[in-house]
This record gives sequence, structure tokens and C-alpha cells, in this order.
Amino acid sequence: MQGGRQWITPHEWMTKPTQQTEWIEGQGLLIWMAEVFSALGMGMYLVSVVMDHWWGALVGWLIIVFLKLPFHFFYLGRPWRFWRAIPPFTKSWHSWIARGMFFTTVFSIFALIQLVTTFVLDHSLVAASAVGTLTVIDWIMRFLAGLFALLTGIYCGFMMSYCKSIPFWNTGLLPIVFVIMGIADGLALIMGVGLVTGGVDFHTLEIASQWALIGNAILIGSYLISASYQSTIGELSVRELLVGRVALSFWIGVIFLGIIIPFALSLISIFVLKTNIPEILIIAIISHTIGAFALKYCVLKVGIYRPVVTRAPVM
Amino acid sequence: MRWGMVIDLTKCTRCHGCVAACRVEHFLPLWVTWVKLAAYETEERGAADITTFPVRCNQCADAPCVDVCPTGATSQRKDGIVTIDANKCIGCRYCVIACPYQNRTFIFSWRDPGYFPGYPKTRYEKKGEELYPHQKGTTTKCNFCVEKIDYGLANGLTPGIDRDATPACVNTCQARALTFGDIDDPNSNVSRLIARKNAFQLQRVLGTDPSIYYIDGEVGGKDNKAPEHAMTGIHIQQKSTVDPRSKRLIEEGRKEEE
Repeated sequence: MQGGRQWITPHEWMTKPTQQTEWIEGQGLLIWMAEVFSALGMGMYLVSVVMDHWWGALVGWLIIVFLKLPFHFFYLGRPWRFWRAIPPFTKSWHSWIARGMFFTTVFSIFALIQLVTTFVLDHSLVAASAVGTLTVIDWIMRFLAGLFALLTGIYCGFMMSYCKSIPFWNTGLLPIVFVIMGIADGLALIMGVGLVTGGVDFHTLEIASQWALIGNAILIGSYLISASYQSTIGELSVRELLVGRVALSFWIGVIFLGIIIPFALSLISIFVLKTNIPEILIIAIISHTIGAFALKYCVLKVGIYRPVVTRAPVM
Repeated sequence: MRWGMVIDLTKCTRCHGCVAACRVEHFLPLWVTWVKLAAYETEERGAADITTFPVRCNQCADAPCVDVCPTGATSQRKDGIVTIDANKCIGCRYCVIACPYQNRTFIFSWRDPGYFPGYPKTRYEKKGEELYPHQKGTTTKCNFCVEKIDYGLANGLTPGIDRDATPACVNTCQARALTFGDIDDPNSNVSRLIARKNAFQLQRVLGTDPSIYYIDGEVGGKDNKAPEHAMTGIHIQQKSTVDPRSKRLIEEGRKEEE
């Protein structure tokens, strides 16, 4: 638009494909961080519960409660009204944010109970007569907390995929990509926790991590292909991701650091070194975690609105 | 009953009267507009020029903003008007993201310097804070001047006919390009316009069923479309100098509409 014409209110963005900024620029960066920690916490907790690793589960719970929730909280325009979005204080169960708040709250409670029961059982802090009952409670809590951890991780994807306004997000593959990436992150992070606390089978975790990375790479590829076929705006988003302004973050962050480096280091550990060297493991974990941040950043950054005025004349 | 509006692009003179009337009516902060004129460059008579396309909240029958609001702050009345209860809004901005028409504005706490930054607020601004307070940290949008409609109905007036019960933008339109009324009533002024002049909704493919209709034709014209010399928003848009990607999207939109 010409500089001399700025007196007019220039809502030219409505006639052009426009990048969303609310959830990635300025205060929107908090949403990015919250979404990343949702995936990391969910993956960490789920993997730890399956691997029966108490410290890992604790770290997963801490990530959700002390990182994800505060970032969400401080993003809100009216943070102290947050309780209005949690059922039963709201009747808007159809909103993915309300669902997410409910899932996260319930997860936080169930996971805390599970952590306490497992700790008590592991350290024989109850009488022998109560062990049976407590074990049942522990398993129920593991199942429920695991289920709600999964829901906490997946709702972010559904929250975005619901938006018809942004075609790149408006696909059912997005929540699956986020969940698989979260689980791969969890596998990486638990190895980091295991380096400090012990009690993890690195070989099994590395094999699982490799499969998760392969699955993730295939899913990301499928997601990008389907998004580019879905609509012109989706195609534009994919182009921005692959060769546009976000390409550096995508290729270096998501593909190189998030997938290739951890995968290559895992292969080297298993087939060349035939042992786990902590330094290599730490590099792989850091690289993988950067990839988790980069993936959410890229997906949020290339969210492009359909132009409002798209009807052309028939002349 | 469902309130709706018809915007006749062949009559609109792009005077910005509706934008100004809305601002005055609702004491909007300087950087907030409920009624917007989507502007784009054109190349008319060999020189770059700007034309506009009036847009506002479409008061969709199947409104995505209502579905995504986690607190119920955004809700739909029985007459189809989508309203925001600022006292319930937590400022999550999910509705801003989900609105396909990009017609919601978040009132940033640190972005309201007043009409004259660095100076005390004017009497008009102070009166606005008293009569029509806008809460910082919440989302805002056009509400079809719902308070005027309610006042009119309570006093036996007819919205769209009686000025005291009609949205400010409709009242102020010098070209009579805006028409307001009940689109559920087949005999209302808006329903007749929609039927007679082949009115269309924006982004109909999304299934949101907006209550705002646009007219880009003339009665009796060939295929019910305006001749090119009418230079409606749509004609001008076709000549727009916006980037090639947008032109491709415009074409895509046309195909989807067909």
C-alpha cells in the first residue's frame, strides 16, 4: 500500500492470505511454550508410567503443572478469571479450551495421587494389610492419569484443527502428529532423567525412540502433503514452511535437530559404539527437545487465514 | 426471527460513514473498529488506487466463535445476534483465531493510549467509559447495535424501519447501501432484496451461514450481475494489484462458490 494513503483504514489483510499472530507473536509466544510443554509433559508422563519410572512420571507431572499451566495462565487477557473455563464452572463443554482445562486439571489430580501411592508402595510406608488396596488404587490411578495425560497432550491438536479459518490446521492429522511427537519427546526425556536417577533400560528406549522418530517423520510428511492438497491456503502454508520465512526453523529445527540428529546418534550408539555414552545421549536429548519446540513454532507460525473477500465476479 | 443485513456494493460510495458512526455509537478505542473496510489497491485509470469492501461481524447462524468460547462469554441470542459478555471473557483469543471473517478484536491492555496519547482523556472518552465500557484483556466485535434493537422492540418500534431501533451504521449510510431487517421473514425488506438481487454471503463454503448478505448486481441486468462500469467492489477486486497469490486465491474462491 502506498505510504501517502495511510489515512484510510487499511484492512487490506482481509483480501490477502494473512498469517495469524495471536498465538505466536508477542504474548502469543506463551501459547507456543504452553503447547510445547503440554506435549513434553504428556509424553514424559505416559512413557514413565508404562516404563514404571517414578522420577520420570514426577518430571512429567511437574512440566504440566508448573510449566504448561502457568504459561497458559499468563497468556490470558484476564488471567484471574481462568476458573470460568473449567467445567463445571462453564457449560461450554463444546470448546476445546474448556475440555483441555478439564483434562489438565483432572490429570494433575490423578497423577499426583498416583505419584503418592507409588512412592508409598515403593518405600513400604504402609502396613502390609493395606498394600493390596493401595496397589489397586495405584493401578487405577495409573490408568486414569495416563488416559488424561493423553487427552491433555492431544487436545492442543484438536483445538487448532477445529479452526476452519486456518486451513493448514484444519485437518485430523494434526492432533496425531502432536501426540506422536510428544511420545517421542517423552522417550528422549526419560533417558535424560534415567542418566541421573538410573532405573531405565536405555537400549529398549533407544529402539522405541527410533520407531517413534520414523513414525513421526512419516506423519509430518503425510500431514504436509494432505494440507497442501486440501486448499490453496493450505498449500501456501506448506510453501511457507518448506521454502518460505519459516523454512530455516523447519529444516534445521524440526527435521535436522528434531529427527535426523537423534536418529543418527541412536543408530551410532546401538550399532557402532554398542553402548550408551552419556555425552552422546545428552546431545540427542537436547537436539530432540529443540525439535519439539521448533515443530510447534513452525505449525503455529504458518497458520494462514483464508482471505475474507474471495468471491470474484462473473463477467 | 433472525436479524440480518444486506450491503449493496453497487450503492456503497466507500465514504467510511458506517465506520465513523459505529465508533461514535460504541465509544470504540481509536485502534478498534467493529465495522471495517477491507481495502485493496487497484489500478484504475492507470494509477494505483484503493477501493474498499465493508465487512463486520457476520452474526453467523452456526458461529464458530460461539462453539470455541470456553466460558460461554460469546453466546447467540434467539434472534441470531452473537454477543460477548465482557465480564465472562477470559481473553484466550480462541474466538479471534477461529473467526473465518477475522472480525474479532482483542483489547490489549497496553495498547490503549487514548485518543491523544500523553494527554488526559477527552470528555467524550470519559463519557464512553461510563456509558459503554470496553474491558481491556477481552475480545470485542460488532453486535448489530443490540441495545438499540432491544430498546426499539420494547417500545413497539421495528428494527430496520424505525431509526431508533436500527443499527447506527444503517442509519448513517448516505447512499442507503445498508438495509437491516428480519431475514427469516420472507416479506421483510432484507429478504426481498436477497431474493430479487441475488445477494450472496462471504465464504459460504465454510457452512457458517452469515446473516450479512452482499449485493453485486442490478435488477434486470444480464445474469443479475452489475455491468463493469458500475465498478463494484468485486469488479475492482478483479483488477486488484494485490500479489499473485491473492489473485489465485480469488479465483479459487470463485470456483468454490460455483
